[in-house]
Amino acid sequence: MNEKPTMSCEQLGMRTVTRRQFLKYSGATAVASSVLSLDDVANAAITRPLAPGTPILVVVTLYGGNDGLNTVIPYKDPAYYSARPDLNYKPETLLPLSDDLALNASMVGVKKLWDEKKVAIVRGVGYPKPDRSHFSSMAIWQSGSPQNHLNTGWLGRWLDTQPIDPLTSISLGSVLPPLLAGKKQSGSALPLGGLIIPGGAMAKAFSRLSAPSQKDSPLLAAAATSMRNLFSVSGNITSVLVKPAPLADDLPTISGGNAGGDSNLSQQLNIVSKLIAAGSPTKVWSVSLGGFDTHANEANAQALLLGTVSESITRFLSQLKPSGRDKDVTVMIYSEFGRRVQANGSDGTDHGTAGPMFLIGDRVQGGFYGDQPSLTKLIDGDLAVTTDFRDVYATVLEKVLQSPAEKTLSNWKGRVNAFKSA
Amino acid sequence: MNQQRLETARLFHRFGFGPKPGEFSAALNAGVGAKKSELISNTSRTGSVLPAPVMLDLGKRPEANSPDVLEFSKALRNQNQILVLWWLDQMVQGDNQLQEKLIWFWHGHWATSIGKVNYALPMFNQLETFRRNALGDFRKFSQEMFADGALQIWLDGGENTVKAPNENLSREMMELFVLGVNRYTETDVKELARAFTGYQMVRSTGKIVLNPRRRDAGAVTVLGKTGVFTPDQVISHLVDQENCAKFIAERVWYRFISSANPLPVSHAAISAFSQRDISKLVAAFISSGDVASSENSMVKSPVEWFVAVCRALELTPSLLPSFSKLNGYLDKLAQIPLSPPNVGGWPVDEAWLSSASAQFRIAFATWLSGQAKLTALIELAPERRVNYLADLLGVVEWSPRTTFALREVRDNPQRLITLAICSPEYVVSV
Repeated sequence: MNEKPTMSCEQLGMRTVTRRQFLKYSGATAVASSVLSLDDVANAAITRPLAPGTPILVVVTLYGGNDGLNTVIPYKDPAYYSARPDLNYKPETLLPLSDDLALNASMVGVKKLWDEKKVAIVRGVGYPKPDRSHFSSMAIWQSGSPQNHLNTGWLGRWLDTQPIDPLTSISLGSVLPPLLAGKKQSGSALPLGGLIIPGGAMAKAFSRLSAPSQKDSPLLAAAATSMRNLFSVSGNITSVLVKPAPLADDLPTISGGNAGGDSNLSQQLNIVSKLIAAGSPTKVWSVSLGGFDTHANEANAQALLLGTVSESITRFLSQLKPSGRDKDVTVMIYSEFGRRVQANGSDGTDHGTAGPMFLIGDRVQGGFYGDQPSLTKLIDGDLAVTTDFRDVYATVLEKVLQSPAEKTLSNWKGRVNAFKSA
Repeated sequence: MNQQRLETARLFHRFGFGPKPGEFSAALNAGVGAKKSELISNTSRTGSVLPAPVMLDLGKRPEANSPDVLEFSKALRNQNQILVLWWLDQMVQGDNQLQEKLIWFWHGHWATSIGKVNYALPMFNQLETFRRNALGDFRKFSQEMFADGALQIWLDGGENTVKAPNENLSREMMELFVLGVNRYTETDVKELARAFTGYQMVRSTGKIVLNPRRRDAGAVTVLGKTGVFTPDQVISHLVDQENCAKFIAERVWYRFISSANPLPVSHAAISAFSQRDISKLVAAFISSGDVASSENSMVKSPVEWFVAVCRALELTPSLLPSFSKLNGYLDKLAQIPLSPPNVGGWPVDEAWLSSASAQFRIAFATWLSGQAKLTALIELAPERRVNYLADLLGVVEWSPRTTFALREVRDNPQRLITLAICSPEYVVSV
């Protein structure tokens, strides 16, 4: 029998995110985003470092729909084992968090942080009328708007409330995620390899070629701007980074993963930690990991992925310790949806609904938040959504970014009390 | 802006990979109508194909620690390289450019990555399916794509069994390939998955076989129709939906006409596709007034830009001095054939315009212009070179800014050409 979702679900109108709109949305942002060089950031870190004690948000996007039930595992629930006879983990291998729930065995680092009360796990997170498409679901999470298609990201709208500064929020990788797209300003993209700027006569020729022109259409202007920005970057600043992080893939070939995201989370976080430690005036960082679309042979692939997440984040926080910035950082981890409860025939899972979110850091009040969705009261075979993701966003805006949530989440009322009081 | 040049440039760069030397001025002389007629007649013509590379079946991957693994991995990489270069050469040299452009389009539509497929042979077979059907019957095309080993591997088709169906291929068949997102229900996804059960594939070749024991023989209900369907039958039912015409017309519009403006609701192309004949759909776009509207600018994707440069400068990708360098530039620009970033395909427009890509494009352009024989340009009086380049490259017009920049370096042909192919007017299909 179908149960109603347990969340207070105002019946929202039809969403009309089309694939076309989302593709446009993921690529095109309301305003041209800057691409920074490592030197840019390093320079700013020296000349105008972030004041110690300023909170920093690091958003980790897991692309592909992470299976929440095999991340935070209801390891004593017989329903878990009967739904997934060949896709469960043996209880004795898991990392118990409570009498009911345990972490995936690969998440040793996160378990240690949990024991230190630095991990909040928000359970059953999702949104009304779950959409199992990777692309529109990711658009909903990143825009922060399930009901209306917005051309801005929730953190992009926050950026719009901040002074214009390309360094306020930075995404690692050369393509800017929609989450950082604002109307007045967008986040910046920092390519992993950094930039090398041509010099001499060609530099002069190219700056002529990219001069602003009244006659330019928006795309011509964007093409000229992208080239002009390249030459406006100062090239002779002493780098605080001895060299960029070594190029190494985190992941061997895995069976999931055709839904976007990068494969080098530890490399991204390595650069982020160096730049935070150096004092980069950046309050929001965005990194990602792909590969969570685990329709087949999920157990090993997911353990590998979650292990990467856990190790990268614990290494990241410990790298920050000498600078003291580890106390300022809050890491937020989410994915576009959880998976179906019942395993499919290929020891994988198909697209589902709710999943856990993680908030990690010194400022976090460790523990569970939100109700654990029942494994026996399913909605069409899927978990009920018990917490709206906007509850978490609103809380993060207020408690981490110290900004009113109203402007970016149109007066969303819900909150998750997952932070220590100041 | 000269309207005739605008339309002619659009026809060359959108419905092909740009002009070869002399083609743009010839088309201007012949008139827009003649170019349109030529393209429309190309919808039913099969173009020349370079001799296909030999794609051996490499068989199963040897055991992890066996001595054969290294050899095997080398062979995989080698085949991948041969295939990418063959395809790039084909895009540059194929004499039916419309067909080549459609093959490239379908690769972005049924976006399958060798990253998961691993073997080049199934990817080659998929390209052959694109070539056979690029301008053909979309119903037959979709049915052949279901039987495509690379797509089946990519979307876990081999794991889809009666015991518990795997929805990956079923969902994307509706969302991304035939109907468009939210034009079906979750029940349709589950039911369609059942109709798709039972197929297994030989990974190294992409050959697919039905295993009746894994097949769900029961009746399913998909989009209001109930029965025991073969994949061909149920796909035919999907293709019959009105939303299919709408969706495929939207996809073609989005990649050929405008990524920014929506397809008008009752565009003639949608009804032209009533029989699911792709050539009629494409012809409707070619003959529409949309080609003439200055609002419909788009950015050339990195591969489109590279192939256009090769055509204009008479370069052959496989003859460039270093594959790893070529591959490296395409990688930095974030577009390598056979490796779309995800099942949704590549992004568009501003996504290709970052300072990072500007930097890599400049380096790439410098390398390419260094490989070209610039005889024609060298023989031309310097004061005629800038105008000559607009026609060579099929550019509508140089802006005053670009004209100024080009004039300053016109005595140096290599610099001149490097600047021209990096100019906003060339990077953007105006």
